[in-house]
Amino acid sequence: MAPLMANVVQDEGSSSVTSSPLKTFSLMSLSPPSLSPYSPWLRELKSDERGLCLIHLLLNCANHVAAGSIDRANAFLEQIALLAAPDGDAMQRIASHFTEALARRALRLWPGLYHALDSTRAVVLPLAEAAAARRHFLDLCPFLRLSYVVSNQAIMEAMEGERVVHVVDLNASDPTQWISLLQGLRARPEGPPHLKITGVHEHKELLNHTAARLADEAERLDIPFQFNAVVSRLDNLDVESLRVKTGEALAINTVLHLHSLLASNDGAGDPRQAQRTAPVSQLTLGDYLEKDHATNGYSPSTESALSSPFAPASSPARMESFLASLWGLSPKIMVVTEQESNHNVPALNERFVEALFYYAALFDCLDSTVPRQSVERLRVEKMLLGEEIKNIIACEGWERKERHEKLERWARRMDMAGFGPLPLSYYGLLQARRLLQSFGCEGYKVKEENGCFLLCWQDRPLFSIAAWRCKRYD
Amino acid sequence: MAASSSTHFYGTVEEDQYSHQQPLPLPLPQASTIPGSSAAAPLKKKRNLPGKPSKQQVSHSIMITGPDAEVIALSPRSLLATNRFVCEVCNKGFQREQNLQLHRRGHNLPWKLKQKNPEEVRRRVYVCPEPTCVHHDPSRALGDLTGVKKHFCRKHGEKRWKCDKCSKRYAVQSDWKAHSKICGTREYRCDCGTLFSRRDSFITHRAFCDALAQERATLPTGINSIGSHLYGNRGINLGLPLLNSQLPLQDQAYPSTDLVRLRAGNGGSTQFDHLNAAAFRQLHPPHPSPFYAGGGPNHGFNEDPQFAASSSSAAAAAGLFNLGFFSNSGGNTSGNQSGHLLGPDQYINNAGGVTEPTMLITGNLMNSHIDTNMSSLYNPSMHSEVPQMSATALLQKAAQMGATSSGGSRSSMLRGYSGSYSAGAGHASLESPGIHVESENHFQDIMNSLANGNNGVSGGVDQQVSGFSAFIPDSDKMDEGKLHHNLSAGGIGGPDRLTRDFLGVGSMMRSMVREQHLGMGMSFMDSQKKSGSSNRSFGGGRLP
Repeated sequence: MAPLMANVVQDEGSSSVTSSPLKTFSLMSLSPPSLSPYSPWLRELKSDERGLCLIHLLLNCANHVAAGSIDRANAFLEQIALLAAPDGDAMQRIASHFTEALARRALRLWPGLYHALDSTRAVVLPLAEAAAARRHFLDLCPFLRLSYVVSNQAIMEAMEGERVVHVVDLNASDPTQWISLLQGLRARPEGPPHLKITGVHEHKELLNHTAARLADEAERLDIPFQFNAVVSRLDNLDVESLRVKTGEALAINTVLHLHSLLASNDGAGDPRQAQRTAPVSQLTLGDYLEKDHATNGYSPSTESALSSPFAPASSPARMESFLASLWGLSPKIMVVTEQESNHNVPALNERFVEALFYYAALFDCLDSTVPRQSVERLRVEKMLLGEEIKNIIACEGWERKERHEKLERWARRMDMAGFGPLPLSYYGLLQARRLLQSFGCEGYKVKEENGCFLLCWQDRPLFSIAAWRCKRYD
Repeated sequence: MAASSSTHFYGTVEEDQYSHQQPLPLPLPQASTIPGSSAAAPLKKKRNLPGKPSKQQVSHSIMITGPDAEVIALSPRSLLATNRFVCEVCNKGFQREQNLQLHRRGHNLPWKLKQKNPEEVRRRVYVCPEPTCVHHDPSRALGDLTGVKKHFCRKHGEKRWKCDKCSKRYAVQSDWKAHSKICGTREYRCDCGTLFSRRDSFITHRAFCDALAQERATLPTGINSIGSHLYGNRGINLGLPLLNSQLPLQDQAYPSTDLVRLRAGNGGSTQFDHLNAAAFRQLHPPHPSPFYAGGGPNHGFNEDPQFAASSSSAAAAAGLFNLGFFSNSGGNTSGNQSGHLLGPDQYINNAGGVTEPTMLITGNLMNSHIDTNMSSLYNPSMHSEVPQMSATALLQKAAQMGATSSGGSRSSMLRGYSGSYSAGAGHASLESPGIHVESENHFQDIMNSLANGNNGVSGGVDQQVSGFSAFIPDSDKMDEGKLHHNLSAGGIGGPDRLTRDFLGVGSMMRSMVREQHLGMGMSFMDSQKKSGSSNRSFGGGRLP
């Protein structure tokens, strides 16, 4: 006890005088901290306090990583490691995934190390695992199902009276949505149309699985059906391979995937270079709060301080050309489901805080509805959300695929590409709400805004669903 | 003629596509291989390959050439005109300009075979001249002249060709030819004696065939449940006991689906069923459960009138009944039209006395879901501490505290910390003392605000986070109480910063631990002063 007090006094004494840089350096080279004085204290921490502590540490660490001061970042990482846990409460889990992301980010300063680590963990998570994680997400949270219900409803409404319907799914790894579309079409008063689904995906096996499932279901329901598999990445997709007949009724659907086309080589190859600009665009939590209060971020006061979300939606050329080629197909409807958060900011700090708030809401949602020991939840957190977090924080340039953006930016982008808004119907909203009721968990909400739906957890919008039509001859 | 043979080919291609479900590989020919074809000649492309699909705006006039495709609107007369190119000498008509030119040679008239200029050739799309047609809209124009001709005839023309074996009539000669080839070759015969050449009409008929119904009524097993499952009813499930397993009858009863194609008009709600079910991962492949039958047959079930009502209300009703209902089959809705198919009593007999239409939970996730719901209720109580704040609430609180600390207008944590490094971009050790002190003060304020946050801004925080968690007011109050107690206990009161509780934890600790904690707290502060050399901070016991 007494020695500790003495130390404390000593510290205080030294700190009130100008500290000498030498002392700092020498102290930094001390042996790693002994943990024993802290264990009882740590145990006594209430979860709230631990959570707040973690937030402090995370923000500090992020600042240091962004600035390139790895030593200090390292120290913070060590502290966080004492408190974070991937199987603890929501804040602990968030911290454990964010610190992993930060650590990877820090490692970018040594490109050799970074790429060595990256190459040994499979370039893409083993397919089966990633698919399993996505399925768990489908089961545990209603977001994907809500998106499917709303999208299908919009598609069916747009295709009323059509005898032949062609649907293009830009990420056809999951047959669930289309199975329910088949069911819905079956029940049309005028009978089901001839349905053609073109599925685009990188991996052939998933497409084959999807094709088989859908063919079975269509056979069972006796709906004339055809599935075209297009094995391609989205960024080098040839729209001609989609085989859209001129004049046919086309619907395009994309769920949480379109943002990957926003990846571009935005000059962030050198992390140090990016970080030199960091202080300018630092975001404080307070700023974030203010911004958050304003509707959808319309906060002029912070615009100057932050990289504005309302900068002219400068889409990379790839996205523009992709949308243009889609426009050329004259789809009757294009339904886009995306994450409702701005994770496409150049500055790391800002991205970090945005991601922190966003994934906090997602982790909270899981924490409130799924028990702690659930393996499925762990998988979702690690293999789905954790991977997204790592991509957002640790990657740059082409690698950074998780370029989520908010609905307004998507709206402007689609508008510039020649698509006009197609408001989602009230019946769709009813169906979505009904699904939530039967899902049975409190806290989820579906909000309607300008004809688009926002899927919220506790009033924080997490996903947006919007429909567009080809603006021609208006 | 080349044109007609090619169109015939495309005719069959189109049909094959639908029946075989295989894309036929056809190379995409270049337009330049069609020498001198005029606007009337179809581009030699497979019909379902897109060319350059973008189209340009068209007004009411016939053509506007845009950068990409031309939209051509022909009048019905010119669309159906067979011989548009007429020789001036002998009035012989030709379908193609080229053929006319070749004919003109015979009259020793000047003739010219035009090559289609490969640069200026454009994709042409055609609109249907009938104003009420969907394809009248330029955005739904068809890509093929022959195609649009056939379309116009089929949909808006009179049927002048008649099959001799059956009574079908056709407006397009090629359709008639194609039909007469297969007429009578493939037949389905219902038990009542009606003959069908198409599978879908056969199936639909069988669903409603009276004769069949009587036969089925006498069958003992599964077949009844086959039909019944398809009337998947959501309506049944009020107050139903939950079952974990699928009843065995279902498996043997699972038939081919050629029984029913219902046309109940419940619109999108059927897809909703599937999603409900699909979510709760079924262990079995998605076999429809036969136990929905109860709702199908109208008699004896209270839900019946609702189903007889408009589709929207049925949907609504069904939706309500969906609570907890997991079906993966076509919740094909109300068995409005199925009155003759089954009696519920028959069904019930078949089902072996399972009279409550039981709900099948085809996935184990429902159970786990119930578990999760229940456990989430228990979660708060499982913690030894007060109910926790959600992560979002914690973030809000942290931001709020930063925002309201007494140190300044918005000395958030980030600002406080950033001050210490941005000045030197990594060489904070060279900072002037002034900055150190400033950051120290910031940190002080933050710590104060954290400690007092529960007191001072609890009101604000409550409002702030009330949307998030119901627990927060409780935790605030508890902390408040403890803090007050702690501070007023006079143990270490005073303005000395040493005594500030870090995060208000102190009240929970014995004095010894408190000192350790203070040491930790101090070293945190030190770490800030030294710009985060936290190695040192943890090495509290090791200072030289």
